[in-house]
Amino acid sequence: MAMGIGFTIGIFGGLVLTHAAYATVQYRGVLKIVDEEFSGLPIIVVAELILGLCLCFWAALTVPGKFLSILPDSEENRPVALPANLDFMIFNHRGKAVNSLTNDKTS
Amino acid sequence: MAVNGELGADENKSSDASNDLPIFNAENLQTNMKVIYYSRTFLSIIGGVVAGILGLTGLMGFIFYFLIMAITSIGLAAKAKFSVHSYFDCWNRIILDGFLSGLMSFVLFWTFAYDIIHIF
Repeated sequence: MAMGIGFTIGIFGGLVLTHAAYATVQYRGVLKIVDEEFSGLPIIVVAELILGLCLCFWAALTVPGKFLSILPDSEENRPVALPANLDFMIFNHRGKAVNSLTNDKTS
Repeated sequence: MAVNGELGADENKSSDASNDLPIFNAENLQTNMKVIYYSRTFLSIIGGVVAGILGLTGLMGFIFYFLIMAITSIGLAAKAKFSVHSYFDCWNRIILDGFLSGLMSFVLFWTFAYDIIHIF
């Protein structure tokens, strides 16, 4: 759920960055027409870039997933179901039955 | 009785091992490393695009990259709730991992965005 929200925020941040890029292209076009040198971006585009960067930052920190604890005795790492713990596995196979049958025959 | 004896032996063994070397869940460590790797790659790409739009050139771009990566490290540490040792075996995992490979994609997207926006 949180991952979906993070993903949406990331896409929105990407759109904001795209819009900032488009605004920059327009700005360069205007500068070419009025014959001035490029010295820096207008403050509104810089603000847009910072906003997009922050949104993408949020997405990058939430989307890839949660950190899992590496400590062997932490709460999260306990095997909750018995099959998760290999010590509790029981193997029953027909080889056992075949073995007993052959033993019966020979004896 | 035999079961009790075995359990006791097991406890002794595990406590011996924990005295000798730190134990951790390697599978979860791998997952955490992958998460860090994804975060860094994505942020270096986004940082490259932003640096290109800003029109940074030369040394300024690399300073920008170092800034982004520093903020990423802080963000990742905050994501681990600043108790790094319960998620990673050492601090270098958070601070240094994926730095150079991120630099490659940063430079690629930096030049790409700069060319598209400021040159063409």
